[in-house]
Amino acid sequence: MDLDPRQYENIAINDDDVHSVVLSYLIHNCYKESVDSFIACTGMKQPENYMENMEKRKKIFHFALEGNALKAIELTDQLAQEILQKNKDLQFDLLSLHFVELICSRKCSEALEFAQTKLSPFGKEQKYMEKLEDFMALLAYKDPEKSPMFHLLSLEYRQQVADNLNRAILEHLNLPSYTAMERLIQQATVVRQCLNQEAGKDGLAPFSLKDFLKS
Amino acid sequence: MEDTCDVLGSEGLIKKHEFVRIIVQCLYSLGYAKSASFLESESGVSYKSEEFRLLESHVINGNWDGCISFLNSLRDLLGETRDSAVFLVLRQCLMEYLKHGEDKLALDVLRKRVSGLHVDRYKIHGLANSMLSLKDVGVDGDVVIDSRKDLLKDLEKLLPPPIAVPERRLEHLVETTITAWVDSCLYHTSLGPVSLYEDHRCGRDQIPTTTTQILTGHRNEVWFVQFSNNGEHLASSSNDCTAIIWKVLEDGKLTLKHTLCGHQHAVSFVVWSPDDTKLLTCGNTEVLKLWDVETGTCMQTFGNQGFVVSSCAWFPNSKQFVCGSSDPEKGICMWDCEGNEIKAWRGMRMPKVVDISVTPDGEYLISIFLDKEIRILHLGTNVERVISEEHPITSLSVSGDSKFFIVNLNSQEIHMWDVAGQWDKPLRYTGHKQRKYVIRSCFGGLNGKFIASGSENSQVYIWNTRNSKPIEVLSGHSLTVNCVSWNPKRPQMLASASDDHTVRIWGPQLLGEKKRCNLN
Repeated sequence: MDLDPRQYENIAINDDDVHSVVLSYLIHNCYKESVDSFIACTGMKQPENYMENMEKRKKIFHFALEGNALKAIELTDQLAQEILQKNKDLQFDLLSLHFVELICSRKCSEALEFAQTKLSPFGKEQKYMEKLEDFMALLAYKDPEKSPMFHLLSLEYRQQVADNLNRAILEHLNLPSYTAMERLIQQATVVRQCLNQEAGKDGLAPFSLKDFLKS
Repeated sequence: MEDTCDVLGSEGLIKKHEFVRIIVQCLYSLGYAKSASFLESESGVSYKSEEFRLLESHVINGNWDGCISFLNSLRDLLGETRDSAVFLVLRQCLMEYLKHGEDKLALDVLRKRVSGLHVDRYKIHGLANSMLSLKDVGVDGDVVIDSRKDLLKDLEKLLPPPIAVPERRLEHLVETTITAWVDSCLYHTSLGPVSLYEDHRCGRDQIPTTTTQILTGHRNEVWFVQFSNNGEHLASSSNDCTAIIWKVLEDGKLTLKHTLCGHQHAVSFVVWSPDDTKLLTCGNTEVLKLWDVETGTCMQTFGNQGFVVSSCAWFPNSKQFVCGSSDPEKGICMWDCEGNEIKAWRGMRMPKVVDISVTPDGEYLISIFLDKEIRILHLGTNVERVISEEHPITSLSVSGDSKFFIVNLNSQEIHMWDVAGQWDKPLRYTGHKQRKYVIRSCFGGLNGKFIASGSENSQVYIWNTRNSKPIEVLSGHSLTVNCVSWNPKRPQMLASASDDHTVRIWGPQLLGEKKRCNLN
């Protein structure tokens, strides 16, 4: 059961706002050609400086997604050293991606050495220690994919790290680290939750974008 | 060499060489190595078995493969234990490789040999993690030898007899005997070590068995008596509409401190606040009154003419309490000391509350409902458990450690249940008389291991919780004994309240000699 469209049909929407939402999504995800043609079609004003950084961001994102963490780190540092220096969590996540790469290519002695030199300094803090334990445990398995920590080798995990890296870079460049689209969907979900709390069991189902688009 | 068929003991059940071997173990563990090895040579019984010596030489020499094939060859070693032992050996091997800087070899051991073992995953992960820190290369020879000795000790614990003897075997055997003595000691009232020179049995001389004082402050039947939590006072209540607070003096004598007047009808129930500063009194056809112990004045009266309270119980904070009513409409209410009602469990379904209690740790509310139902409510989770008895219950008493409670039934039985709900049957105590009246019992004595109860035949009965028949029957009162209370701080002092208008204080027979040593 969804909201009655008559309740919101009368609200006016500014075209420029819609364009901004779409553009922010395209820029965030480095869809350069799409950005160019969208701007041309809508006659929008070109945002400043998005071009040169977008190319770099795209490369960094893809390296991280593939698992080539060292390259991603190198390019990020080229862009700005502070990004990783200020963000230890991210630095750790990227280094551990490299560790996982080595394990997956069965270069275990290298992986061990890498862990001993690069990862163990993080081990002094509790929050890193627990993550590190999971990573180190991978060493014990002939087939790490069959270990209890197999999720650390997955695409979803790399995607998460790559996303975080992307957001950190955007923040550094004084661009929004979340797209307007994401924020809007998050807001709609929370608003729906609040309404449900007040309405009790007569409330609406939690907000689902898929269902909304179908209706 | 001793003949291994030699036996000892009056029944010939003990093998001499085993007996000597555990004595040798005991001497070593007590630190008498010289005596131990002298005994080994004099008796020809060696502490270490041949197999163990073999393992020992493998371990000391770092011959890990030898260790593992030895462990695999033992038929008596169960699969899981064997893998745990092999794990320990491989771990030592791995750690030594790390110390020598042989990371690759260590890694091989981990991946090829350890990961296949049936041991706890966490152990394997832990081993992987220990490879993280760069160990200081450059090994101290002594450290290695010491760690190998530690490995041997750990392995010894996993090996089955007769290859290895379980740790501290002789101590364990002696303690088993002592525990059996203590368990069967009916009057057991001593703490601490028990002498080995005599088979242990406590005498009745520590249990209250004779009247030491008769308190005559009341002018009618005394229905209730209870010591304060710190054992310094006693409260009694009577059909004469009063309650009395008595002081317990240093020498164990009691004197009257306050008489609490103000009730219109008989006072059948008294309860001390956990901090002993306040007293609640109520009666079957009476209201509830709150008194200050120091001054003996009434601080609050709860309810009015119509509000009838049968029993009440304090929460550990001494600020709030619950009361149960014998009026079916009222149910159970929770109040604070200022007279505000905090919560109430009311309703049409609420039957009459006979008795109510809160466990001293504040976790459970136990109530007796008309009159065969016990409800145990966990205050934190609101989960309720119900026990249905077959006969009417007249009273409830909770143990000091909050783990057990006893109920008196009109069928002349006292039933003990556990609060947590793991028992499906109660422990039963019989011997006393109870058919018509409300008779109350209590836990008491050292460690709460005894139960005392009143009885309709004017006697006080005492049981050891381990036994369903009484160990003592105390005579002295001339009419029904309604209630008993055991002093929580003086395990030798018991009080009883009777229809003969008196309260009696009971103590051990040799009270004059005052043997205090056992109490510490």
